[in-house]
Amino acid sequence: MREKLTVAARGNTDLLGLLALLLVLLVAYQHYDSSLLTPASITILSAQFLPLILAAAGQTTVMLLGGIDLSLGAVLGLSMAVFAIYEAQGAGGVVTAMVLALCVAVAAGAVNGTLVAYAGLPPIVVTLAASFLWGGVTLVVLPQPGGHVPGGLVTAYNNGWNGVALPAVAIAGVLAVWKLLRTTRHGLALYAVGGNEHGAYASGLHTRGVKIAGYGLAGAFAGLAGIGLAIQTGSADPTIGVPYTLNSIAASVLGGISFFGGVGRMRGTVLGALVIGLLTNLLLFTGISPFYQLIMQGVILVVALALKTYLTREATV
Amino acid sequence: MTGTTETTTDTTAHATTDAATSTTRPATGRAARQRTEALAALRGSRPAWAFGVLAVTWLAAILFADGFDSVSNFRYLVQTASFLGIVAVGQTLVVMMSGIDLSVSGVVALSAVVCAKVASGTGGGATAITAALLLSALVGAVNAAGVVWLRVPPMVMTLATGTVLAGALLVYTDGSPSSAKVPLLDTAANGRLLGVPWSFVLWLVVTAAAWWLLHLSRTGRYAFALGAGESAARASGVPLAATAFTAYVSCALLAGVSGLVLLGFTGTSSLTMGNPYQLLSIASVVLGGTSILGGRGHLLGTVGGALLLTLLTALLTSWNLSEGVRQVILGVLIIGLLLVYARERRT
Repeated sequence: MREKLTVAARGNTDLLGLLALLLVLLVAYQHYDSSLLTPASITILSAQFLPLILAAAGQTTVMLLGGIDLSLGAVLGLSMAVFAIYEAQGAGGVVTAMVLALCVAVAAGAVNGTLVAYAGLPPIVVTLAASFLWGGVTLVVLPQPGGHVPGGLVTAYNNGWNGVALPAVAIAGVLAVWKLLRTTRHGLALYAVGGNEHGAYASGLHTRGVKIAGYGLAGAFAGLAGIGLAIQTGSADPTIGVPYTLNSIAASVLGGISFFGGVGRMRGTVLGALVIGLLTNLLLFTGISPFYQLIMQGVILVVALALKTYLTREATV
Repeated sequence: MTGTTETTTDTTAHATTDAATSTTRPATGRAARQRTEALAALRGSRPAWAFGVLAVTWLAAILFADGFDSVSNFRYLVQTASFLGIVAVGQTLVVMMSGIDLSVSGVVALSAVVCAKVASGTGGGATAITAALLLSALVGAVNAAGVVWLRVPPMVMTLATGTVLAGALLVYTDGSPSSAKVPLLDTAANGRLLGVPWSFVLWLVVTAAAWWLLHLSRTGRYAFALGAGESAARASGVPLAATAFTAYVSCALLAGVSGLVLLGFTGTSSLTMGNPYQLLSIASVVLGGTSILGGRGHLLGTVGGALLLTLLTALLTSWNLSEGVRQVILGVLIIGLLLVYARERRT
């Protein structure tokens, strides 16, 4: 009995801990802002958290493959720029712009993936160099902050559309697609290649193809995040994506995704992103100078990871 | 594995030719074999590639670009390269033991901002410099402590300290860092010794010291061992803590030195002045032929890498390209160069 409990706890230590932390944060949040659970609040908050959650989902995809994507923020910025520069008119135009931005982001991700899979260069080096490349392409597409997103879309997205929180629906949709993918052999292949590349290859998986697809999928997540950010702010900024690289890694690591690949769950990452987002907002409420935000983010990251390492070591000894 | 097999077959091939020729001219045969072997070793050496590419690029720049043939241009290039180079030398020490330091950008800004603030306030130049360097070293110690004792992956640990530093500097300066003119730093950044910029001399001294540390001292052997395989190294008694502290503290200290020289160069400090050095220092290390996974490479390669990156940036700037196009070309060039000579062996 006791053994069973330890096994169950060991498997979900990080998730349970994160969930507890999230609950504490929500209670504290409720204390400062009693309208937390109203539809309007949920719409605003989900619009605010969507870019980070989706960017973190992209980073998680790559990290599950045993890689890392340091160009994620640049790809996010690129998709944002492409979406906003298209000058969409009407519903059809918006859809075209979205598809265009998504295609560009997926292509960028696939290029990263191809370099990692075929060139024999470590992911950290490839994506580091690629961050120059995609950041530069973004600046060529959109040298200055600007672009245009239809006003109606911005209002509907940020204030709710007929009482429906569009960003929350978008997040739920993306996560549902991920869940579906996880149940197919493609999702399993992702974990297999990340967990043991030799084994996956020996079992007949086309490991290079899986890698390219994984990085492409990460590009799609980053692209969606960029589109969301553009709609939320109503325009595009070529350099706004940069912090998302590090924050997406932070959210994934908080969520229990291993650096070595093959270990971790997307739900952990979503919780991690929510914790980071809520904490940032809470700091604003408490009236502490926003300057302290960065300090807190760094400290939380280290404390969470160190705690996790400590706990898992206790469990294995 | 391919590299090793190639060398083995090469040696056997040479051995047979040598055996054939040895009956007639033994001395010449041995010399020829040694020469070919040396050439093969050079071809396989990535740091040599870094300097080769650097030489070709520099020659092309002198021949085809305007203004690259003057002594003053050369002087300016090595002067600006030393800002990046000093950081990159420190980064090499950390990368060699398969770590990585993403907090160098924060440390560069930290040392410049603290020095400027103390110097423009009550403290003198010497106090300011000491305070800046002590704080930089402290950051390195925190990085090492996190990596060694908390077992946090280096990338996350240094990322976190970098983030904390950025926040701490905002709080410390209230968002508006000060400027200061410290005579000593002004000389270090802009002065010359017999026509050679002091900053370049400083870079050379730093490189020599780091060379000794990495390639001649016991700590350096430990760093290589840890980079090649941590568990095996620790099982053989390599002290992880001492080595990591030496590497991370040296790296942070060198980033601090670079921040001070930059402060002397511009006369002002800013919160973002370190930002370019985060990625560029790692790029210099990798272009210099050091494996990002650690355990393989040479410190001198980093010097070539830093010079190459500075030269490429200067070339792209001289062509009046827009910022975006410049970044695209730099990114493609880095990827291209890495594909040519920095591919990891497939495991």
